[in-house]
Amino acid sequence: MNTLLSLTDNLRTFWGYTGFANAEIGHIVMILIGLIFIYLAITKEYEPLLLIPIGFGILIGNIPFNEAANLQVGIYEEGSVLNILYQGVVKGWYPPLIFLGIGAMTDFSALIANPKLILIGAAAQFGIFGAYIIALQMGFAPNEAGAIGIIGGADGPTAIFTTSKLAPHLLGAVAISAYSYMALVPVIQPPFMRMLTTKKERVIKMKTPRVVSQTEKVLFPIMGLLLTAFLVPSGLPLLGMLFFGNLLKESGVTRRLAETARGPLIDIVTILLGLTVGASTQATTFLRIESLKVFAIGALSFVIATCAGILFVKLFNLILPKEKKINPLIGNSGVSAVPDSARISQIIGLEYEPSNYLLMHAMGPNVAGVIGSAVAAGILLGFLY
Amino acid sequence: MTSTIQTTLFIATIGIVGIFIFMSFFYLIILALDKYLPYQEEKPTEEFMEEISESEE
Repeated sequence: MNTLLSLTDNLRTFWGYTGFANAEIGHIVMILIGLIFIYLAITKEYEPLLLIPIGFGILIGNIPFNEAANLQVGIYEEGSVLNILYQGVVKGWYPPLIFLGIGAMTDFSALIANPKLILIGAAAQFGIFGAYIIALQMGFAPNEAGAIGIIGGADGPTAIFTTSKLAPHLLGAVAISAYSYMALVPVIQPPFMRMLTTKKERVIKMKTPRVVSQTEKVLFPIMGLLLTAFLVPSGLPLLGMLFFGNLLKESGVTRRLAETARGPLIDIVTILLGLTVGASTQATTFLRIESLKVFAIGALSFVIATCAGILFVKLFNLILPKEKKINPLIGNSGVSAVPDSARISQIIGLEYEPSNYLLMHAMGPNVAGVIGSAVAAGILLGFLY
Repeated sequence: MTSTIQTTLFIATIGIVGIFIFMSFFYLIILALDKYLPYQEEKPTEEFMEEISESEE
């Protein structure tokens, strides 16, 4: 009889540790969200390199377990494996490493060949500051509003870096929002591109860009670094690494380092970043009205950024001579979702004129958008940190 | 206008103007690079060697 009682007790204790005993509705909702991310990544191929680690991270972070048992498995339990890996997000180590990789894979030729396109990358940052104003009006504190606004930069690492400094408690919501909307760029941008342009504007053919010398390509990241260091030093962790990566690529003598930065290094950091950001969205901290507001403002910020880029080109065209006019369909590329937003310009452009290849032109504002959003992050950090 | 709105608008204005100033500097740097270090078509090595040998003669 005693053995039977002891066995029952043990089974009850075991049951108390299982996910079935600890599951709440919030866990189930988050697990479903994680599964949707994985589904979208595999079947629709929406940013699979990000959505699969994030989606899987959401599953890991929301496995219901007995928190009182001190199993050291949760991301917020000090000393757990996930908690140690999460320090890269909390302390902001991962985003600069990702920027190093991005720099090593980015070709700035399109921008150097037609430097006026850099201003489109600046105009699209209206999305960040528009969202910042809206967030403040919706009752968020200034530092939280800054973190939410940066979603409009359409740059995951920049959003994570800024939020980790300004409002770490919003990290999950901001990161998931930024990456979700980046994945949805092909859905969000085209309606506004069509709405804000005329048929005549959509068929504007731009001049073939000039050839860029190797010397220019090497000097560009060095000049960029010096400019950042002197003008926006708070943007150095991101832009410094971006230009360093680019110099590794363009110098021609550090091929191995460049290949590591744009290959294994960025892949490893992306895995760790995606997984831990996903795991940080535990139901108890993530399923709040606050998160829904972040998502709503995030969507608005993408719309503002897209519209600002397109309208800026239209405005710019008023002062440009006829042969130098810019096709406003590349205005959307000012948001830094590289290269997806540039691809959208190309696809929509080809719909209206099958011989009009806009991709090379759109890459200019697209890489300028990366620089612009990092500068915006630096400015916000300078004021609000 | 409350002080919060004033501060918000101030930061947003400074932010967007700051980005345009930063990008304008970049624009000027790129123009300068193009002006002082224009692209020159690279000659194939053989052609280059021929030129050197001709000049030595």
